[in-house]
Amino acid sequence: MRGRALVIGAIVASLVLVGAYLAAGGSSYEPEKVQNPCKPRPWSNPHSLGELANQFTTSALDGAACELGVTREALARALASPQARRRFAEKYGIDDEKLAQAIRAGLLRAVDDAEEAGALSPILAGPLREALKNIPLEEAIELVQDAKSLLGNLQGFLGLGSGLIERFLP
Amino acid sequence: MVLSDSSIVVLALPEIYRELDTSVSGVTWVLVSFNLVMALAAVPAALLARRVGPGRAAAVGLAVFAGAGLACGLSDTLSTLILARCVQAIGGAAAVTASLELLPATVGSEQRAATVWAAAGATGAALGPALGGILTQLVSWQSIFLLQVPVALAAAVPILAVAKHEAATGVIEPELRRTGRPHMWANLALAMVSAAIAAALFLLVLLLIEGWRLSPITAALVVSVMPLAAVAGARLAETVEDARSRAAAGAILVSGGLAGLAFLPKATIALTIPPQILVGVGLALVLSALTETALGGRAPQAIHGGWTISARHAGVVIGLLVLTPIFTHEIDQQRHDAIDAGTAVILDSPVNPLLKIELAERVSERLEEQRGKVPTIGPAFEPLPEDPGARAEVQQLQSELQDQLDRGATHAFSTSFILAALLGLIALFPIALSKEVEL
Repeated sequence: MRGRALVIGAIVASLVLVGAYLAAGGSSYEPEKVQNPCKPRPWSNPHSLGELANQFTTSALDGAACELGVTREALARALASPQARRRFAEKYGIDDEKLAQAIRAGLLRAVDDAEEAGALSPILAGPLREALKNIPLEEAIELVQDAKSLLGNLQGFLGLGSGLIERFLP
Repeated sequence: MVLSDSSIVVLALPEIYRELDTSVSGVTWVLVSFNLVMALAAVPAALLARRVGPGRAAAVGLAVFAGAGLACGLSDTLSTLILARCVQAIGGAAAVTASLELLPATVGSEQRAATVWAAAGATGAALGPALGGILTQLVSWQSIFLLQVPVALAAAVPILAVAKHEAATGVIEPELRRTGRPHMWANLALAMVSAAIAAALFLLVLLLIEGWRLSPITAALVVSVMPLAAVAGARLAETVEDARSRAAAGAILVSGGLAGLAFLPKATIALTIPPQILVGVGLALVLSALTETALGGRAPQAIHGGWTISARHAGVVIGLLVLTPIFTHEIDQQRHDAIDAGTAVILDSPVNPLLKIELAERVSERLEEQRGKVPTIGPAFEPLPEDPGARAEVQQLQSELQDQLDRGATHAFSTSFILAALLGLIALFPIALSKEVEL
């Protein structure tokens, strides 16, 4: 075999391989980028209290993460346990007061988002905002973790009867 | 055996890393120390072989290699292992360079000896990781070194007769000790290509074991594609006379294979095979062609062989030292990105928010337990919910999270593979200059 043919064959084989891998998505095979928490996340139409609670949690985490300048995902892991929260506080230099303020802001953003999306009635949104403004840190964290119970309790608290929220759902 | 030794521990590194409780950078020195001392000792060892006679130098070198191998196998700390590897490299350098002087008597001519010696180097480099991986999995990482003891001693036995003859007949004529200058371009190209090949072996093994969590024996089977391809490459090399074309084609194939590994479209073993074939064929072509070029028409062979060994191992050291910090930084970054992407998958899933937070907590705990490594995420999802619907949702989540981790682990190596591919391409310049200037 001639030397030139060998070199050309090597170039062709290399280009074919790299081209095929790039065409198959090799240049973008990496972890998906997480969304900026300050950017609004569209709400879908929730069909149950559970779905509403899910989106409420997401919005609250986004709002709080945006306030703190961290990702929603890092904050969610931090809120999972007291140990995780301690590690998060050390890493980002965020004390409990700052965290509480951010989570309150996040919960208020979640109420705004839910109301704006038509998923939460203004009748419920108003008192909910007032209740959330001075909520202590531990309770705020519990509410982020269990938005369903928050929304369910709200019905009971307002004495509006069961199934009210569901009735406001699209 | 000695030439495979620079790469034989590659598959054992993760095991050594865990057992000796060190860091990725620390364990890299098990490889770097051997190659660095080989690079420094090769030419002095060749000079010594010329002075005392190749038989005696090879016999003593193999004995030192065996003794140090025993010390490596018995090491229980990283520092003693690295020290023993340094001594092993000194013995290895003496044995390898002296063997080039002994070969013509066996194979018939100096030219044929250079070809056989170069082919042994290429095959050894390619074969090392697979052999080391099988031994690590079936026995232990220590067995890699302990097995070398009887093999090295057995190789020394026939050489003893030559050594005795040398002792009886005296030393080499003074004029034979004069040496021409080394072939700069071929040796420079060898260094660059060796850096790229070291990266291919080292990074691919780490990707398979630490990134994709394969067992050493599975990883050994996967990387055995390279030596098999190298055998095919050696046959191909015999059909082309022009050494410069073989070297250029080899360097291009090594670079192409490395670029393929940099752009893997999925974390699947099958997709590593085509790039490995290119690297295997390429390394057989380029290492033998450049070694033959560096030795061609030059005497004494041991000294110039020493220069090629020095260039090859210096290249391995440069490759490891340049690329290790890059990929350790990248793996850390990608680990974080993958965890964030995986958490996003959990948060955006339709499962109950309480279960989401619980999963996030378990994932967080796993991360803490496996700090600095690509985590195994499965245990964070156990026990699975009893409700069939919730169980399916959680299993789906686990699979999506694992996909993000696979993406991160694979992508973490991309930059290093690209840089290694560039090293292979840069080697084309000295390869292009080698003929006009030196031959």
